[in-house]
Amino acid sequence: MTANSEIAVEKFLEHTDAEAASFFEACVHCGECAEACQFYLSTGDPKYTPTYKLRPMERAYKRDKAPFSGLKKALGLAPSPVTEEELREWEPLVYDSCNMCARCTLVCPMGIDIAGTIRKMREGYAAAGFVPEGLQRSAEFVKKTGSPMGVTAKALKAQIKHQEDAVGIKIEIDKKGADYMAIFSSMEIMGYPEVLGAYAKLFKRAGLTWTISSVAYEATNVGVQIGSAPMAKEILQRVVDAAEALEVKHVISPECGHAYGAIRWAGPNMMGRQFKFEVVHIIELLDQLRREGKIPVGKKDTRRMTLHDPCQIIRRGGLLKEPRSLLNDSCANFTEMKGAGITNFCCGGGGGVSANPRAEELKTAAFSRKVEQLNGVQDLEAVVVPCGNCRAVFEDGLDEYDLDLEIIGLSELVAETLAEEDETGA
Amino acid sequence: MSFLEFVEGPLFLVASAIFLLGVVWRVGGIILIGRKKDISPPKGSAAMGFLKGNLRHFIPRGIFAKRTALHLIAGYGFHLALLVLVLFAAPHIAFIQDRLVNVNLPEMPRWGFILTAEISFAGLIMLWVRRISDPVMRLISDWDDHIGSWLTFLVMLTGCLALQESHGFLRAQHMLVVDVWLIYFPFSRLMHAFTFFLSRGNSGATYGRKGINL
Amino acid sequence: MNNLLRMVAVLLVLLMGVTASQAQSVRPPGNAVNLDDGIEPGPPNTLGDLSDSDFWRNYRGGDPNDPQQIIGPRPDGVVLTTTGQHWRALRENYIRKYAGWAPLIVIGILAVFYVLIGPMRIKSGRSGKTLSRFNLTQRVSHWFMAAVFILLGISGLIILLGRPLIAPFLGKEVNSIMTSAAMQGHNLFGPLFIVALVWMFIKFVRGNFFQWVDLKWIFKLGGFFGGHVSSHEFNFGEKSWFWMVTIVGTVISVTGVLLLFPWLVEDLRILQLSTILHGLGAVGLISVLFGHIYVGTIGMEGSLDSMLKGEVDEHWAKEHHDLWYEKVTGKSASETAKEEEPS
Repeated sequence: MTANSEIAVEKFLEHTDAEAASFFEACVHCGECAEACQFYLSTGDPKYTPTYKLRPMERAYKRDKAPFSGLKKALGLAPSPVTEEELREWEPLVYDSCNMCARCTLVCPMGIDIAGTIRKMREGYAAAGFVPEGLQRSAEFVKKTGSPMGVTAKALKAQIKHQEDAVGIKIEIDKKGADYMAIFSSMEIMGYPEVLGAYAKLFKRAGLTWTISSVAYEATNVGVQIGSAPMAKEILQRVVDAAEALEVKHVISPECGHAYGAIRWAGPNMMGRQFKFEVVHIIELLDQLRREGKIPVGKKDTRRMTLHDPCQIIRRGGLLKEPRSLLNDSCANFTEMKGAGITNFCCGGGGGVSANPRAEELKTAAFSRKVEQLNGVQDLEAVVVPCGNCRAVFEDGLDEYDLDLEIIGLSELVAETLAEEDETGA
Repeated sequence: MSFLEFVEGPLFLVASAIFLLGVVWRVGGIILIGRKKDISPPKGSAAMGFLKGNLRHFIPRGIFAKRTALHLIAGYGFHLALLVLVLFAAPHIAFIQDRLVNVNLPEMPRWGFILTAEISFAGLIMLWVRRISDPVMRLISDWDDHIGSWLTFLVMLTGCLALQESHGFLRAQHMLVVDVWLIYFPFSRLMHAFTFFLSRGNSGATYGRKGINL
Repeated sequence: MNNLLRMVAVLLVLLMGVTASQAQSVRPPGNAVNLDDGIEPGPPNTLGDLSDSDFWRNYRGGDPNDPQQIIGPRPDGVVLTTTGQHWRALRENYIRKYAGWAPLIVIGILAVFYVLIGPMRIKSGRSGKTLSRFNLTQRVSHWFMAAVFILLGISGLIILLGRPLIAPFLGKEVNSIMTSAAMQGHNLFGPLFIVALVWMFIKFVRGNFFQWVDLKWIFKLGGFFGGHVSSHEFNFGEKSWFWMVTIVGTVISVTGVLLLFPWLVEDLRILQLSTILHGLGAVGLISVLFGHIYVGTIGMEGSLDSMLKGEVDEHWAKEHHDLWYEKVTGKSASETAKEEEPS
């Protein structure tokens, strides 16, 4: 056993709490989870069976931490130690072929949260340095610039300026005491900056004060994707510090899956304290404003549309109804795809897979499930994808599979279908 | 002391004790590992989630049902039938009343017993042959899975072979396998009969806390 | 699979082995009639001076008007069915005597074949690429049948051959225990065989109808002695086995049900015929089964994959099921074989 694998095993054991232990103990090797995993479904390769991906961590637990492990060791019945070779063999399974989408939990008769356990397992991998190059590079960018794509404050300001011009509304930067502070994913800032304009338009109409921090604008948490708690904490710290310095009441988590989980659910636990602000997801906020009548709907979009459910927002985030009620308001022709909602397929790029060039082929293969779903909706014209990362994966995927569909963000759609001031008589 | 008296008497008591203590030790051990308190502001109740997670996972989801139909039928058939057999077979009731507690369990008629046994056997056989004939199952299965299946099968088989209740030996054979099964149980994956509520519950609690309604 | 079979065998031997040492614990079945209770020898010379032959003839012939027929006659007038004697003679003198030999002979032939000619290898080696042959439901239905068949086969053979093979060597008590156990097991697993049979028939009937190309297979002796034989998804051997299992299996099922529920028929002779057909059919199936197991495991490289993984090697498919290969891949089996030859 090498030093690195020892570090990994040590972290495995450290992160095997009563919850993870109950999962390892309850798995009966029934193989159901394979039927839920898009990587298995699209490749047919048994090694992509979700529970199999946990094997090294499970072994470490059963050898050194499980009840009776001492007795079994004494009798020579404990599993053999985890080797570096094995850990390396599993690296692609842990990073390239798991979106942490948690679809497998739904089919599991034991209700095992494999996605959450993969997250814990990655802690061991990250600590030992067994991390795919692509993710490692993102991490280095984050260390330098605070953003996995290397988006600088200067670039952000340029994008904000463009959007101010486009919608004719001033966007305040670093405004102290604002109600809301918005953060974004790099993907949104660089690829879909219209979302900045959409926010400006919607919040102005709703009468909210909001701001963007020039030091903490990045929501993507590479630390969570790689599985490094120290790094995740460092990234989060910037946002928390900035928000608390600006004395905002709320931080808006953007249309980005993992970012939401990172700040809303994992955040306070990583920091070891509750925040002085509340975290609210943009979809949650928009739905609330809509219900309060602050952003009334005007002319509906008549295109045939469907909704992609980003795993971390819907299945693991609990925002199931909100995007649907917004869509039903804004779109005259909204049709659900087959398997929509809680059981929807991931885009294939979640959990750091899209930031990992080595996994490109797998990601594309996994997207075939999504293509099947999209093709199942007749005369589909557009798909609403409320997650920056999913959106980028969709663009690649639709291109790869020659599908001609428009991809829309939910905030943009809501902004576009916002009633004119005079329409409501306001 | 005859062999039958031994396997029905002292050995059965020892095996039962190992079974009970082992189960308590293992479940307790898992819980005592402990976990950090979640301090993120909750949106729903973790306790309710724990309960709901346990109940929700009894019901298969439609979208997966087609792909996993065989497994569901075999799995439910086997487990439910086995439970009924253990509790309501006439010889079992007699044994429980004789040796354990004086409870009045309703006895199954003989045809009911046979039918239940058939379902149970069919389910277990299907589950096991699926384990050996599917690449996914072959990859993820280990010795514990096979030993557990086989021991349970032998318990059921020896029980049925003794159905005529004509030979003490056949009864002793059944009891011997039962004793072995009881001793093996707490150290093996057969423990899933007790750990399932923890895993379902833990996931359910996490979901419940997040206000997710599965 | 070999290991599994071995494991099953060892377990059975163990179970049965313990039996011998524990034979002392035998006691009669709960519903058994104890001959010492209540039945006493009748008074002597109750027939008076009547001729015994006439008496028996009358009984057998079934004359309801004969005042001597004091036992209530059956509707057809038969009072004493002597077919039982024929049945017994047939069963004791032929079936019990020779049935055990059939599987042994098949095993012997296979062993000789294996030693002299050897297993069929994939001539061009494994390609590493696979084709999907049997889906999961097909595989599970096959193994479900296999498991039930093995359980029934072993228990059935104990019932049939216990008296000549077990009793003389291990003693009557051991035989009694084993037969009691075997009968309970056999009766219990019997209905599952019917389920398995129907399930397997539905899952495998497609592709199992005989075709012209099967004639060539027969003339070339299935390629077991060399030469290439063409076949579709299933070859003549597989098809024959499928239909044998289906037809003989149906006979066994029907006769088995009659033996389980004897009140379903009135004529005892049907039950006697049933035991004969049931035994003969089962012994036939068990014997041919060894051939099936041989070809499916050590006899032919690459066959077992189809039932364990559902996938077969492309070269295996080309060599044994070329027409099927062409159908599922859309490629020509002979051309692709040539293409790959130089490498």
